[in-house]
Amino acid sequence: MALTLQKGGNLSLSKTDPSLTKILVGLGWDPRVTDGAAFDLDASAFLLNADGKVRGEQDFIFYNQLRSPEGAVEHAGDSRDGLGDGDDEAIKVDLTKVPADVDKIAFVVTIHEAEARRQSFGQVGKAFIRIVNSVSGVEVVRFDLAEDASTETAMIFGELYRHNGEWKFRAVGQGYAGGLKAMCNQFGLNL
Amino acid sequence: MTTLAPGANAPLAQGPLTATIGFTPVAGAGLDVSAFLLDANGKVRGDADMCFYGQTIVANGAVQLSQVESGRVVFCLDLDRLDAAVEKVALTATIDENKARFAAFPHLALSVSGGIEAPIPTQDMQETALILGEFYRRQGAWKFRCVAQGFAGGLAPLASHFGVEIAVPTANPPTTPAPAPAPPARINLSKITLDKSRASISLEKKGDGDFGEIKINLNWNRPTTSGGLFSGLLGRSGGVDLDVGCLFELQDGRKGVIQALGKAFGSFDNAPYIHLMGDDRTGAVRDGEWLRINGKEWRNIRRVLVYAFIYQGVPNWNATDGVVTLFAPGQPPIEVRVSEEGGKLGCCAIALLENVGGSVKVSREVRFFQDQQKADQAYQWGLRWSVGSK
Repeated sequence: MALTLQKGGNLSLSKTDPSLTKILVGLGWDPRVTDGAAFDLDASAFLLNADGKVRGEQDFIFYNQLRSPEGAVEHAGDSRDGLGDGDDEAIKVDLTKVPADVDKIAFVVTIHEAEARRQSFGQVGKAFIRIVNSVSGVEVVRFDLAEDASTETAMIFGELYRHNGEWKFRAVGQGYAGGLKAMCNQFGLNL
Repeated sequence: MTTLAPGANAPLAQGPLTATIGFTPVAGAGLDVSAFLLDANGKVRGDADMCFYGQTIVANGAVQLSQVESGRVVFCLDLDRLDAAVEKVALTATIDENKARFAAFPHLALSVSGGIEAPIPTQDMQETALILGEFYRRQGAWKFRCVAQGFAGGLAPLASHFGVEIAVPTANPPTTPAPAPAPPARINLSKITLDKSRASISLEKKGDGDFGEIKINLNWNRPTTSGGLFSGLLGRSGGVDLDVGCLFELQDGRKGVIQALGKAFGSFDNAPYIHLMGDDRTGAVRDGEWLRINGKEWRNIRRVLVYAFIYQGVPNWNATDGVVTLFAPGQPPIEVRVSEEGGKLGCCAIALLENVGGSVKVSREVRFFQDQQKADQAYQWGLRWSVGSK
């Protein structure tokens, strides 16, 4: 039985599963059940330095740049509709390949064309992020975002971060307005 | 004042609340507003969890549909009185028989007492049934969220979304008589429209003879321009002012007329127990005109003929899209539409209410006359008429 974190909670991955090197970050949500414009949610990852900023454009892993140059982070591709079993999108991380000056990897979900479609996280249900040991296939930790979201169009689901030489995972669940562009700006990427 | 966009939420003031749904009526597209009490799975537990025109008080009065007028519907909610299994109360609007899409409604908004406004962005909306907003429990308190999402297929997918079974007539009844199980109570969502195929209906007779306040509304299609060149043009060619009125006859033989012309407004508490609410010819009030009948005194009333007459403008009855709706407490609304052409005749007898053994028999008339006096003669009412003005 995997551990479940509450918002703000964290867990030492190295202690929980010492064999953990290659992980799969699964992200999911419920698609809308009503009619109207579909929701297209995109998962992205930002590789961040000690100041919480990207080192350059190569540190932004998203639907148009699926892999970081050193191969530490790889996006499994865009799911357009949120339908299907389990994860809606998945990002693979090889912890042994993460560059030494990357302190943190933030996992973000944004709503595509949220403004034009008048959509927000207040309309998205049952979002989650989970960390799976991709060698053993075992789920290590899970965070169900029981947030009472409102007009946010971008949300940091969780983050992997270094702490005293080990990797930890934090359940974040923090929402922002402004979609993917605002997230990029927040992480020091001026588009 | 908090204005909520779709998806946005806000905390609620403590204590009983009112939720008001306001909209600009669209001719030929009736709007029904309902509330669904939902459990943790987002479903109703049974028919008792639906609050709508056929069942206006649910959950021991914790949720009540308290006012239904054209263009305005008010719910009274005391959410803290709901039992713990109710996690959400969804407010919905559906367009009768999917006759239009929400894109046709220029104005639709929900407001909750305590300063919450949720305008529904209806532009380009293809839906014919909408979840306007929902009250929900969050960390021990109630909050409100603007939803503004729905279904193009109308009431049926909306109802099934909330786990409501809609009565479907069975085509092939079983041939072997089974031991009759109690049929599950199913809610009848249709309102009653009197037409040529069904011209009359009787309201269920009440044991105590009290029908409550019977409200009769006359509404029609008016030009919506707010001034300038076009309103001037329309005022001459298309603008029609309809007035509602009635002839009444009491059991003791007294009879008379109630209409704004001649300033005969009647009385609710005293004979004739029929009251015409203020006439509005400015167009500012969009829900038409209202007659109220004191149903407590129905035993004293023999018959009432509800008519509309054209006070101003050229008679073109078909284009007015006139509709008379009768609302009686605990009864589905009864509609009679003026769907025929009345030529140049200025008065249309629309509905006749008769006291038949204590019940209220409502009949569709839709008969055209040159004026009220001619209608009086046709129905053998026997009043004396003279020319009047407002």
